[in-house]
Order: sequence, then C-alpha cells, then structure tokens
Amino acid sequence: MRAYLNTINNPWREFDELLNDFPFDFFNTEWRARTGKFPRVNVWESDKGLVLEAEVAGVDPEKLEVSVDANVLTLKGEKEQPNRSNSEFQRSFNLPFELDKENIKATTKNGVLTVSIPRRDGAAEKRKIAIEQL
Amino acid sequence: MSVLSKTETDVQKVNRMEVVPVTRVSENADDFTLTVELPGVSEKEIDLTLERRTLTITAENTAQSFKDYTLTLAEIPEVRYRAAFELPERVDTAGIKAANRNGLLILTLPKREEVKPRRIAITAG
Repeated sequence: MRAYLNTINNPWREFDELLNDFPFDFFNTEWRARTGKFPRVNVWESDKGLVLEAEVAGVDPEKLEVSVDANVLTLKGEKEQPNRSNSEFQRSFNLPFELDKENIKATTKNGVLTVSIPRRDGAAEKRKIAIEQL
Repeated sequence: MSVLSKTETDVQKVNRMEVVPVTRVSENADDFTLTVELPGVSEKEIDLTLERRTLTITAENTAQSFKDYTLTLAEIPEVRYRAAFELPERVDTAGIKAANRNGLLILTLPKREEVKPRRIAITAG
C-alpha cells in the first residue's frame, strides 16, 4: 500500500526499494526526519478521500506550501534554524485517485500539518468496457 | 497515583517509546536560546522542570484519528519526548522563559548580570 506514496521526488527511493527486501525497518524515517529535510507523514485513506498529516515543527505556516498537480500532492517548506541557513524540504506523493482540487483543506496545529483531500466525484467508480468482437 | 486508579490511557502512556527531541542551542549577547522540536504536542502536554541546575523537558505527542479512515502509511509514532540539560553557572535560572510556537518549544535562558560583557569607564586622572 505504501509503495505508491513514495515514488516521486523521493531521494531515498532506490534505497527504500532495496530495504523493502529486509524484514525490518532498517534505516527508519526517524533519523531522516531529524535532518529536517524529510517531514514524516501519516496517511489516512477512505472512500471519501485522503487525509495527510505531516510533522512540520519550526516551519512558519506562511512558508509552507501544499500544491496539487493531477494526482500528485507536493509539500514544500522552509524550516527556520537559529544561527544556520534555513533548510528547505520538499516531498511529493503519487496518489491513487484523482483529487477534488477545489475542496482541499489544510490546517496547522502544534507543528503538525493536516491536509484533507476529497476524491473527485465519480473518479472512484469503476467502469466496465464492452469489448467488441470483430 | 496508585496503580489501581490508573486508567487505560495512563498505562498506554507508560508504554510509550522515549525519544530525545531535536534540539538546538544558540548563544546571544544576553541569553541562550534553546529550541526543542515537539511536533504534535499541545502546550498542556509539555512538562518542564528545573531541579537545581538540571532542566528536564518531557512531552507526549497526541495522534489524531479520523473516523471512517484507515491508516495506510504510518511514519509518526506516539512517543514520549524527553531531554535533560545541565545548565551552566552563567545562566540565571530564575529568569527562564518558555514559549510555544509552530510545534517548537523556545526557552530563553538569560545570563547572569555579572557574566554579561560590560564596558568599564575610564576616569581621567
């Protein structure tokens, strides 16, 4: 299930694929998150749509950007760091359905960003295609 | 609190994994700033204690749950953040201030008056 979420713009992709063969979480997301370049996420899914939570402590909500292109969701931001240059991060998710771009809601609270994205109407319906015999 | 009066959530909290939060320290002319990243932690869940010169921070994050949704990718665990700092003599412990913003706990540790740089006036003889 998690495979589709990690395919785009993930510098760790090949590494992840390699590690998928291991029976345990070897280099887990925790130390990646510690560098500030890779916000950790929880993704919730249902028929209605999807909810994504991301840890963005220290990121000014003004400098946080959520964008959607077709079925790709991108989180971008800049983290303040005292006495150091700000660190930028970007993470994209390839979503398994088309999104209703008009109704995306994003909120932040206590350094956690919550984005809720409904599915586009009718996009979830399966359609049977008739096969013509020639 | 006795063992018997503990609720289920109390027990769950005891079983949490302990993690040292990401912390940065910077020095300014008049104070030190200690920045601790505590994403998903509300103000009430932060516990700050000062014992002699040891400053201890403990905090627990709260996981959100969404009705009718299933968790498909879980990277954020429920943890207890814990960090302890031995403050140097230079810090005036009475004047410590704490603020909470964007999931960051920002502590201002003022320096004691006698260690701040000062200018010595020269009197003409």
